[in-house]
Amino acid sequence: MPPPPSALRITRPTPTTISFTVSTRAPLETISARVLHYLSLALRVVIASAILFLLWTKWELLYPSVEGGGVPKWLVSSWPGKIATLMAKGVMTRYLVPLAGGVLWLCARRGYTEESLLVLRGLGIQTTSSSSTYLSTNSTRFIPTTSIQDIFIHEAFKMFEVRFYLAIVVEGEQDVVVVFPSLLPSLTILEEVWRGARSCLYEPKT
Amino acid sequence: MHPFSILTVGIFVAGYTTARWDLVTRLYELAIFAWDHDVFTRAVKGFAGVSIIFLAIVYPVSRIASREIVLHPRTGAGGISAREQLKRRGNGLMRIFWPSDAPSSPNPGVLVGWRNSDLDVLVVAILQDTRSVENAIRVGNLFRSSPYPIHRILERCGKSSLQVLGSVNPVVAPTTFNPASITCYTSPRSRFPHLFCPDTKEVMVQVILFDRPHPTRMQYISLAPISLALGDKADKSGKGFPPLDGVEAAEEREWERKQALVEKLKQHTVVRHSRAQKELLLPVIVDQINCSYELNALLQSNIGLIGTRSRRALSVGEHIVESASNLWDLILAWLWYIATEYIWPLQSRLFVFALIAHRAAGEVLLRILDWRLFPGHAALKDVSATAQQVDIRLQQFCYWPIQYLTLRKRKQTWQSITNSHPEYIRFYNSLWLVANDVIIGIALGSYIIENATFVAAQVDKILTAYTIQGLQATIIWLMDWPAGLKLNTELATFLGDLFLWVIDYWAGCMAMLRPYLPGIIHFIGFSSFAGATMPISLFSDLVSLLTLHIYSFYVAAARIYNWQLTIIISLFHLFRGKKRNVLRNRIDSCDYDLDQLLLGTILFTLLFFLLPTVFVFYACFAVARMVVIGIKAGLDTALACLNHFPLFALMLRFKDSRRLPGGIMFELRDVGNEKFPTVEQREGSAPTSFIHLKSVPLPLRAMLNEYFQLGNRISKHYVSPGVILCLITGRFVPPIHRKNLYSLQYSMLPKQRVGIYELWARVTEKDAKVGDGAYDLGLVNGGFGGNGYVGGGSGNDGYGHRRKGSGNGVGRVRVGRG
Repeated sequence: MPPPPSALRITRPTPTTISFTVSTRAPLETISARVLHYLSLALRVVIASAILFLLWTKWELLYPSVEGGGVPKWLVSSWPGKIATLMAKGVMTRYLVPLAGGVLWLCARRGYTEESLLVLRGLGIQTTSSSSTYLSTNSTRFIPTTSIQDIFIHEAFKMFEVRFYLAIVVEGEQDVVVVFPSLLPSLTILEEVWRGARSCLYEPKT
Repeated sequence: MHPFSILTVGIFVAGYTTARWDLVTRLYELAIFAWDHDVFTRAVKGFAGVSIIFLAIVYPVSRIASREIVLHPRTGAGGISAREQLKRRGNGLMRIFWPSDAPSSPNPGVLVGWRNSDLDVLVVAILQDTRSVENAIRVGNLFRSSPYPIHRILERCGKSSLQVLGSVNPVVAPTTFNPASITCYTSPRSRFPHLFCPDTKEVMVQVILFDRPHPTRMQYISLAPISLALGDKADKSGKGFPPLDGVEAAEEREWERKQALVEKLKQHTVVRHSRAQKELLLPVIVDQINCSYELNALLQSNIGLIGTRSRRALSVGEHIVESASNLWDLILAWLWYIATEYIWPLQSRLFVFALIAHRAAGEVLLRILDWRLFPGHAALKDVSATAQQVDIRLQQFCYWPIQYLTLRKRKQTWQSITNSHPEYIRFYNSLWLVANDVIIGIALGSYIIENATFVAAQVDKILTAYTIQGLQATIIWLMDWPAGLKLNTELATFLGDLFLWVIDYWAGCMAMLRPYLPGIIHFIGFSSFAGATMPISLFSDLVSLLTLHIYSFYVAAARIYNWQLTIIISLFHLFRGKKRNVLRNRIDSCDYDLDQLLLGTILFTLLFFLLPTVFVFYACFAVARMVVIGIKAGLDTALACLNHFPLFALMLRFKDSRRLPGGIMFELRDVGNEKFPTVEQREGSAPTSFIHLKSVPLPLRAMLNEYFQLGNRISKHYVSPGVILCLITGRFVPPIHRKNLYSLQYSMLPKQRVGIYELWARVTEKDAKVGDGAYDLGLVNGGFGGNGYVGGGSGNDGYGHRRKGSGNGVGRVRVGRG
């Protein structure tokens, strides 16, 4: 499987603070891209709420609640309510629930992967990986400079190919920290990141 | 000097004098001449005069000067410009830590905080009074009426005192950048400050915004994730017990291999960078951030006091009001005195005695539970779930007073000192779990007691149905060509009869036990008032006792099956004309005689055809055994959940996740300079990066880490190819050692419990501390002056705490006078 196309984005407010971001998504710079992004987000919210509403209707059909509870009357009599009632009546629970779960999961899925490396002189290095869904937060790991032993690029087998990876050796730990672990970008990107990180992290020798 | 060189010099001098003797005589004559003409006396007079001048003028002047330097230190660079300093230092990175709740109004103010190095500052407070803050800090006015000694918090923050770092929004704009007195501009549009620093290509700026953790809500940040387990054991807890099984040995090997790789990697590191001061300071900065909230509150409360004149004399009306309030205070103090002097000591004494007696009884029980017949053998608590449960509870009871004392100490100092927060979570977690356990236990116990006969009947019914009648039915089925398998009838009948006979005997035993079963159930019901874990563990033990026959059947059937399999394998070697050489651990070829071959082949055929019959019986009992193990595993899981589940931590995680720090993270923020419109030089400002420091809450995965470890260990032990091979070949599957299984439950307990004598010492020390607490309260009431301190100081009779207590008192008196 070829590696997913990923682009490197560098933010460098000062020479002592650099953020490298590798992403499978094009940066949201043009207006059309931004509009598309927000439209897709809105669509996801709409679909997810529709699915939840459908599940609620099904629940009410199965276990009708006492007066005053349950789905409001105006919602049932409106056209989405009618469609939901029709669908809830038509589809059996054993098919509806897994199907709804699957659609909800698809709605919550993030369509891209973004991993970044933030280098702060005097403080340390921070790796960030975006989560696979919108529901969970990104996972970050901060490594103080004092516990960084080395940063290197190495190669390793992954399935049937050889991939390069950027790794940070942390003192006192048995496993190295792989930067960009799920994207594993190409060697040219890794070299650029490696050079930038090394020049940014340590004070220049006088 | 080295003796050898002394010798060399001596030899040289001696040789020189002998060689140039005439020179020596000339020198001697010169000395006599000088003595005759008063040269020596004049030299001595001159020396004395110079000494007198030095002692009378120069020495006092230098003393005065040094004293003046101490009294009025020169801040700043002492004549060297900032640019010159930066040039000397090379490329500079100015780092400012800025609290996110600092006021962003455009009013002028003074920055107070820590200066960790010349270009590294942490802002604690912005004081609006610009006049005499520097002097007030030096004299200590700003730390007046601090609840606890200020030096404790300062010691924690790198032993440096607070300083004036610079000014914010000054009326007169500065012209040059001076790191000794920085100038910041704030704007309501951004939480980030703007540092005045013209772009001179020599300095870069890092502005790091931090959210102050609230210490009274027990929030804090830390570099390492908070550890819910007690860290006094080795990281591989639960290991090292004599019966190290294969899984652990493999883990150990893997660990060593990785360690060797780590060592190798160390040698591959080409450039070793020395640690810069700024990098080493990170832990100190984390502490400073943790302490900044309380210090800020203290400074802000005192800022109104500086610059005000001393209090005027009270007016008559004020005198009356004060004396009236003093009278009330007096009555309160008297009541307080009676309570503290007579009622409280008696009660606490009684409580301490009860505690120690309880501890002693617990010690005896713990010794019994931990007693081993022979060293290396299993103790009682390794065999029985009930014994283990009692052991865990007793150890918790032994640990609670110590934990409580630790937590009391936490109350007696600054809240920012966060050492005991994990202990707090552990303590309340275990208290909550025990309370939960007891509540569930009471519900369960009352049900069992009320329906004892019914429960007993049900238990009896289930036991009979499954372990006796079910087993009998299965064996009879196996004897009669099960599922169309045509087994060897004679062997099946023999084996079946054998097992049936034992089951009959066992059924007789059970019938003898039956009248006592309601009593036993009653006992279990009563035991559950000590927590739901007790009936569960008792039930677990009962299950292992009442299914003893299944265990023995399994062992017997496995033995027979394994022997038969071994014999078949060796006969198969014979069949092929080979044999196993045990000395070399290999298979050699061997010339057998004809009769040997014939007999071996006949036996091989016989045993091979009998194998399915034996296998069927073995499989039956192995499945029964596995079911029993599964039931016990389920009960053990319930026990583990009731004993260890991190309820309190989970609650905290949802209530206030900042109380469970899992590390820190930085976020690069894009703050344009155009947000600071008041600064004229904003175009030519030095490159600045804006960073937000955040605390990462502890992930759920880390909270339940112990459970994942346990699951991992169990799956490694039971769902490994080795175990499946053991099952297939009929070898005995070694049960996982209880010690390994329960390292989880002991992870919140210390390895070595505190002895009775030490507990006594620490509890009586607690009494002294209670006295301390009383005088603290007296101080808060504000009724007494110095008397309160004296009383408090002399009232101490603790072990090394008297000195500390009286020291506090003296310190406070001094502060009060100042």
